[in-house]
Amino acid sequence: MLRYLSKRLITLIPILLGLSFLVFAFVRALPGGPAVALLGERATADQVAQIERELGLDQPVHVQYANYMGNVVRGDLGRSVVTRRPVTEELWQRFPATVELSLAAMLIAVLVGVPLGFVAAKRYQGVLDQSSLVASLIGISFPVFFLAILLKYVFAVRLGWLPTIGRLSVTTTMDNPTNLFLLDALLTRNWEALRDVIEHLILPAAALATIPLAIIARITRAAVLDVLSEDYVRTARAKGMGPAIVDRRHVLRNAMLPVVTIVGLQVGLLLTGAILTETIFAWPGVGSWMLNAIRARDYAVLQGGIVFFALVVVLVNLLVDISYALLNPRIRYR
Amino acid sequence: MSIAAAEAKELETEQASGLYRDALSRLLRNKAAMVGVVVLVLFVLAALFAPLLTQHDPNVRVGPLASNPEGPTAQHWFGLDEQGRDFYARVIYGTRLSLLVGVVSVAVGLSLGLVLGALAGYFRGWVDSTIMRAMDLMLAVPAFLLAIALVTVLGRGLFQIMIAVGIVNVPIFARLLRGSILGNRETDYVLAARSLGTPGHRILFTHLLPNSIAPVIVQATLAMATAIIEVAGLSFVGLGPADPRFPEWGRMLADNANRLDQSVHLVFFPGFAIVLSVLALNLIGDGLREAIDPKLKD
Repeated sequence: MLRYLSKRLITLIPILLGLSFLVFAFVRALPGGPAVALLGERATADQVAQIERELGLDQPVHVQYANYMGNVVRGDLGRSVVTRRPVTEELWQRFPATVELSLAAMLIAVLVGVPLGFVAAKRYQGVLDQSSLVASLIGISFPVFFLAILLKYVFAVRLGWLPTIGRLSVTTTMDNPTNLFLLDALLTRNWEALRDVIEHLILPAAALATIPLAIIARITRAAVLDVLSEDYVRTARAKGMGPAIVDRRHVLRNAMLPVVTIVGLQVGLLLTGAILTETIFAWPGVGSWMLNAIRARDYAVLQGGIVFFALVVVLVNLLVDISYALLNPRIRYR
Repeated sequence: MSIAAAEAKELETEQASGLYRDALSRLLRNKAAMVGVVVLVLFVLAALFAPLLTQHDPNVRVGPLASNPEGPTAQHWFGLDEQGRDFYARVIYGTRLSLLVGVVSVAVGLSLGLVLGALAGYFRGWVDSTIMRAMDLMLAVPAFLLAIALVTVLGRGLFQIMIAVGIVNVPIFARLLRGSILGNRETDYVLAARSLGTPGHRILFTHLLPNSIAPVIVQATLAMATAIIEVAGLSFVGLGPADPRFPEWGRMLADNANRLDQSVHLVFFPGFAIVLSVLALNLIGDGLREAIDPKLKD
């Protein structure tokens, strides 16, 4: 396992280097260059020259890259042009909101998607199977922002069952040791706040969950169908093992392998979905922060956000690979 | 060409056409896929004959400026928008842009991806690892984010957006084709061709590519669906086609999202146009996949 782990960690190095280079190139490829991007198009030549000196842009490219890498490694992603605050600081402040939303969405997707796919496979070609296939196809075809708008309109605006925006009602007060509001409410045993947090979380999480849910249900169905036709399942049944035990010990355990991979692959989708969902529900996370950066041409924030999202995706994929190896000894010994 | 080679070639083309004919007949029997084809054809017709389907110009005012414009009437089937333009005309003309972006961006992604995937799969070694590491790198950045970054750099022209959405697809196509070629590389017919002295490029183009292309075609259909959603998403975040003369579904949604309470039609129609067209492409893609690989179904 240790050998597998170290091998997997080494493959990270070129990816991270390449990534840093891509982002470095991104900023330099911006229309008019980074200085103009920072100052706006009406900047005078003097201002541009001064900023270029300050940012070290008058130095040779390889020196610039080395400086940039040094800053990134120290966690310095520059300053937001709009708020003048360090990008890293804002990022850490907003990240918990996105984590909470994404985890809630993933939880919904797994808790609904896996049983749905499993039951569909057990009732192969039945009414339930066919309708879940149709439903998941429709789910995949819905742009997340359209779904978010519809959910908000029906359940918040029209029916008034749930709040329309934000993470917390203005009237609710709570302590935030972790900034993960759900966890904070539990830790401080503030049940009033817990209820409020959950109510705010439901709609954005449901909107964000739809596409991963549909994908997870489809993959689970296919994986269960695959496993059901395996010899070891037939053998287990033939020796008189109860159907529930066969399902649990043999079918589900083996079918979960591809599902774990897919869950990991959804993280990128969740994060980019968060850009749109958070905006619609005014959710104060990284996604809405990045959208504001796009609108305000705040390239330092956009660059920081891209680096950060890509890092999260790479790290989650690493975790998925490791858990995959733990679940499936065949990988470790290859 | 020797007799044996000629015979081998003939046999193979016979088999190949048989394979595709089988797939086609399976596809035609798949009701869901046929629904998708019909819907897609309707969208294509709407895009081609938009001026015949509506007498209104999508960019000309026919009603008053209003913060809560009138809904569907006999005269204006989808109502008017806030600038008093016929909304039915705007949705119908919007079909042009979405389909165009879908087709062109997939063509861009497909052609680049195919070249890279074929090179990697055929030559292997350092060519393979260089190309595939670059593809891994692109896949590490979430697709929509990559598209945002590319459009930020390239600009908001229609062509630039199509390129950006297309480039996002390159690693997916490259990996798919490479995997498929690697699988076919060791088959008996390739060995046979090689032992007959067929040159490498001929093996690649006449044997490996035609036999490895099936999963790529499926992916192309699905990628077109994703492209439509991605462009709508780009419009939604304000990075869509800058030219206001081209009505675009995602932009209509973004512009009217906060007007939902008074004018549901301004969100409903463009939204469902996106869902319907994407659903049609997904149905066709799924049908194609099952038709090409019948093992999936049985």
